[in-house]
Amino acid sequence: MMYWVAGGFIYRRVDSFFHRLDARVKLLLTSELVALSLLSFSPPELIVTMGTTFAVASLSHTLRRMGKTLAFSAGFAITIFVIDILVGYSIIDALVYSLRFVAIVGSTSIFFLTTSPDELEHVMRWFRLPRDLIFAYVTAVRFVPVLLLDALQIMDAQKSRGLELERGNIFKRVRNFSPVLIPLVVNAVVRSGELAEAMEVRAYGAVEKPTMLYSPLLRTMDKIAAILSITLFLPTLYYFLFLV
Amino acid sequence: MIEFENVSFKHQNGVTALRNINLKIEKGTLTAIVGENGAGKTTLVRHINGLLKPAEGAVRVFGINTKQQSVAQLSKKVGIAFQNPDNQLFSDTVTNETLFGLKNFGMSEKEQAERLEWALNFFDLARYRDVSPMLLSGGEKKRLCFASVLSWDPDVLILDEPTVGQDYYHKEKITSMIMDLLSKGKTAIIVSHDLEFLWPLQPRTLVMAQGQIIADGAMANVLSDDETIKRANLVRPQLLELAIELHLHPRVLSNVKEAAKLILVRSVGAR
Ligand SMILES: Nc1ncnc2c1ncn2[C@@H]1O[C@H](COP(=O)(O)OP(=O)(O)OP(=O)(O)O)[C@@H](O)[C@H]1O
Ligand SMILES: [Mg+2]
Repeated sequence: MMYWVAGGFIYRRVDSFFHRLDARVKLLLTSELVALSLLSFSPPELIVTMGTTFAVASLSHTLRRMGKTLAFSAGFAITIFVIDILVGYSIIDALVYSLRFVAIVGSTSIFFLTTSPDELEHVMRWFRLPRDLIFAYVTAVRFVPVLLLDALQIMDAQKSRGLELERGNIFKRVRNFSPVLIPLVVNAVVRSGELAEAMEVRAYGAVEKPTMLYSPLLRTMDKIAAILSITLFLPTLYYFLFLV
Repeated sequence: MIEFENVSFKHQNGVTALRNINLKIEKGTLTAIVGENGAGKTTLVRHINGLLKPAEGAVRVFGINTKQQSVAQLSKKVGIAFQNPDNQLFSDTVTNETLFGLKNFGMSEKEQAERLEWALNFFDLARYRDVSPMLLSGGEKKRLCFASVLSWDPDVLILDEPTVGQDYYHKEKITSMIMDLLSKGKTAIIVSHDLEFLWPLQPRTLVMAQGQIIADGAMANVLSDDETIKRANLVRPQLLELAIELHLHPRVLSNVKEAAKLILVRSVGAR
């Protein structure tokens, strides 16, 4: 379940035109999509935004994995819809607002689905964020799949000692999770301590400005994609803001 | 008793970890599973208590298809002690950690107290009973895992890499524990890279490579075969290597003393 939801935000290596773009361009494209979904207040706007989001997702072969997360966010969307109706919005408006939520989740997930932690690191460097912050963030992101795998292994070990995780009411199940959560947290803490030591013995932080092996450059393809997206985005933004 | 029938299994990421496994393990026997990293040993044993269900084929334990029971139900009969202790220790004290399974299976207080004492004493953990499991050394943690599984006295015991991190004395202890269980009619399955540890036990040996069982039989016979050794990247136990070099029947040498005696007799005979 946990895995299923998070699956929509975890990078997996796929070869597509979109994946190969420079991470900065991907960030630009998805920010544009997120901006548009935030500004979608009417059915035609929503159709344009969601259509584009899905098109990009299918172009990058991530439609299926995004779909899982969207199916989950649909639960929230329905809640939003019901509340809107109860508060007295029209059906159309309630529908637009709830779908807008789905669109925001979808457009955000595209960036994370197609950008590896390494690329993310480069983007953050490019923005000149502090090195320790970048390192902390990238490490945390890298740890997520490791933690998930850990959690599965721990659940297996405890089930093998007779722990029932699939039965009983919700309170019982939540309480039954402490044999899973405790080793998970302990492992994470121990691991981070070990990581810190392992980094120090390899001279992390010894020099002010460490050197780099690769500095990513924008290729022609990236430039074309960036310019194209901006030329499409600006008129759409104008249309969204002033014409609908 | 444990039966694999044409079992194949694929992990979520598409890695095929088991290919068409057929296997029968009888009650009261000792079986060792060996093979290089990633051969599929752990995946295979995870099928026995139902943690993994076969994609194709069927696994039956005591005649029951594992698909029809929960892991907790099967675990009552099949105890697995896993490779990594850090993935299971969570209690505040060694005592509570050992009692975890007993409570889950709803054993009476009297039984709990008895089994607890037995397990802590057997695994040399009695002096740590009120200590947090997190503070134990690596080898002690591992022993605590054994204790916490053997405590409910399962009919089948599966040990995944039991000797990793154990000193010589405690390896011997594990050997004697296995002998003890076998004499009580229990079934044991050991996954291990430590062929030197397995050799004195002379188990039935399954060699795995790339998700398949490539050899199955008495340890001495299986490991005498050069082809198997090469395919599975194994190194023979020293005593077996010696026997082969001396052109002896592979099972003759079960300890160094015996080997020395034989060599002496031979060298005298040669002169
Ligand atoms: N949870 C998992 N998800 C995906 N692939 C896995 C998973 N667990 C194991 N594998 C893969 O399945 C194959 C068999 O793994 P398995 O753990 O059974 O090997 P093993 O024989 O126990 O190895 P080792 O000696 O290292 O313990 C390997 O290629 C491994 O990468
Ligand atoms: Mg293994």
